[in-house]
Amino acid sequence: MLAASSVEMRKVNKFYGKFQALKDVDLSILPGKVTCLIGPSGSGKSTLLRCINFLEEYDSGEVRIDGQLIGYEAPNKKMSGRKLREMRRSIGMVFQQFNLWPHMTAKENVAEGLIRVRRMSKADAERRAVEALAKVGLADKMANHPSRLSGGQQQRVAIARAIAMEPRLMLFDEPTSALDPELVGEVLSVMRTLAGEGMTMVVVTHEMGFAAHVADQVGFMEKGELVGVDSPDRILHHPQDARIQSFLRTYHERNSF
Amino acid sequence: MDWSMLQQYGPSLLKGFANTIVCWALGTVFGMALGLVIALIQRYAPRWVTWIIQVYIEVIRGTPFLVQLFVLYYGGPLIGLRLDALPAGLLGLTIYGSPYFAEIFRSGFRAVPDGQIEAARAIGMAEGHIVRRILLPLGLVSALPALVNFSIILTKETVILSIITVPELLYQVQRMSAETFRYVEANLVLALFFWGLVETISRVGHRLEARITKHLIERT
Amino acid sequence: MFSLAVFLQSFEPLLWAARYTLLISILGIGLGLVIGTLVCAARLSPYPLLRRFAAIWVSFLRGVPLLVQLLVFYYALPVIGLDVPAMVAAVVTVGICASAYISEIWRGAIAALPRGQAEAAVAIGMTPFDVWIRVILPQAVTLSLPALINELILLVKASSLVSVVGILEITRASQAQAATTFRPLEVYIAAACIYLVINLCLAALGRYLEHRTAV
Repeated sequence: MLAASSVEMRKVNKFYGKFQALKDVDLSILPGKVTCLIGPSGSGKSTLLRCINFLEEYDSGEVRIDGQLIGYEAPNKKMSGRKLREMRRSIGMVFQQFNLWPHMTAKENVAEGLIRVRRMSKADAERRAVEALAKVGLADKMANHPSRLSGGQQQRVAIARAIAMEPRLMLFDEPTSALDPELVGEVLSVMRTLAGEGMTMVVVTHEMGFAAHVADQVGFMEKGELVGVDSPDRILHHPQDARIQSFLRTYHERNSF
Repeated sequence: MDWSMLQQYGPSLLKGFANTIVCWALGTVFGMALGLVIALIQRYAPRWVTWIIQVYIEVIRGTPFLVQLFVLYYGGPLIGLRLDALPAGLLGLTIYGSPYFAEIFRSGFRAVPDGQIEAARAIGMAEGHIVRRILLPLGLVSALPALVNFSIILTKETVILSIITVPELLYQVQRMSAETFRYVEANLVLALFFWGLVETISRVGHRLEARITKHLIERT
Repeated sequence: MFSLAVFLQSFEPLLWAARYTLLISILGIGLGLVIGTLVCAARLSPYPLLRRFAAIWVSFLRGVPLLVQLLVFYYALPVIGLDVPAMVAAVVTVGICASAYISEIWRGAIAALPRGQAEAAVAIGMTPFDVWIRVILPQAVTLSLPALINELILLVKASSLVSVVGILEITRASQAQAATTFRPLEVYIAAACIYLVINLCLAALGRYLEHRTAV
């Protein structure tokens, strides 16, 4: 297993016009550990996650991956496209909407990054792609187009696409929110395996079970603020902050029967 | 209808038809190419460049095709652009179609979900690769119906080339009717011919487009 | 190279000729609206023969280039014995051609209306005629306004073709002007400018109307 990355976020702020989406967020992502971000919709969890690979451009503060600032060379001086791409190669991202390319098969989806970005030969790339697909349990579906895969299968292919690039950090943006309930399990199972192998993972999720059992630390966000970050036990079972208590209470009401 | 007239003028009518097809085909291909370039420039170029392009689009779309041809063919020599009728017609058709094709491609690009572009950026793919491997194939599929529609419209525009003496079909028919004084029949037959042609191209075009779309989406 | 003097001087005769361009375009779309409405009604009517006829009308007029239509009409009229001034022939041809496109614009707008509108009207007991006049048509008109303005812009550009039947609109006038000044470049660019201004105004009008009728 490759060395896992660490992420340091200091006083990160993001504005959409007058609206402040992130307010002075401080967060440390430890190498090899799983960090889950929970909170109500619109709290800025996804925005914060996307700042890590600079898909969202944060306006002030610092985001450092393994000590290196991402997105900016210096305050107010944006990083060159080339350097940004270089950094992104070691970061894998899994999206809520899977975002598989519909005109390519599962194998081609996974191999594409290897061919274009890592400049592997087609044969090598395809071999690596098949390995990655086997890892998520979909080697037999490698010739299928996304339209012929279930949501859970598509998301697993998306995970394979990300891990084939041998990232040192994996970002998951609500990976199971768009899935039918019975398909959620297969995706969480793959994520659990990855966590067990020592991958640094940041997961924005509503799956409290996953956060409780797999995460090493859980962060709660509301209205752009990181209200609290602590062990799963303390955040989920013994929350001190009234906002976290209120959120969990609503969650339990809606989800228990 | 005097059929002997057809026999006599058959060859020149055929030549006219061939020229119509050539002008239409090349005009469509070059117009699409130019339109694609314009659409890509609009997507990636700085503000002032897109502003110039916007002016170009407004001018071409706001003026009659005939006047554009006149500027090119009759006005051209005054600034050193001396073209024969056919090349001038081809250039005119290309320029005339380019803004429409550009707009069609832009719509096609917009139809590609942002998420798929983001996924490519997230693995560090260079923009050039993203355009070639994701934006273009998927954008093209979206744009295909409109591309086919507009190229059908272009077939009708080719007759305007006759006014700047391009020897396409209408030109030949006019010459024939001037010599035989059968103006009405000649143009009526031409009208029916075009009607049939456009209907046929329409049907074939849409069938082809359905097949290509299927092929592009599921390349097995 | 480019003579500004000739360019500017061309405007006077060309603007004079622009009256005819505008006249033909406006009368053309007026005629097109009237006939187009009838054709659309025929296309949507319950009589198969009428529907067939209307479909062929639309297909023919959209399949044949306008220039060819103009030439057929122009040559055919004396043969039938109708001694009609060129202007009338031109407006009629343009109007008939436009009717096919306008019919399709109406059809599209009516198809885009939510079904519930008509159903609600029928449910309160309105007669079919009333449903048409009070519910469907007004909304169809609003929906099709952008497309109609667009059609008018197309007609303004298409009016340049009536130059071949001798009407002294902008294009014909510019041809005459180019012949006398021997500076076709400046003259035709001037003509283009006038068309451009007309069409930009129409486009602005279209946007304004879209704004005002936005639901």
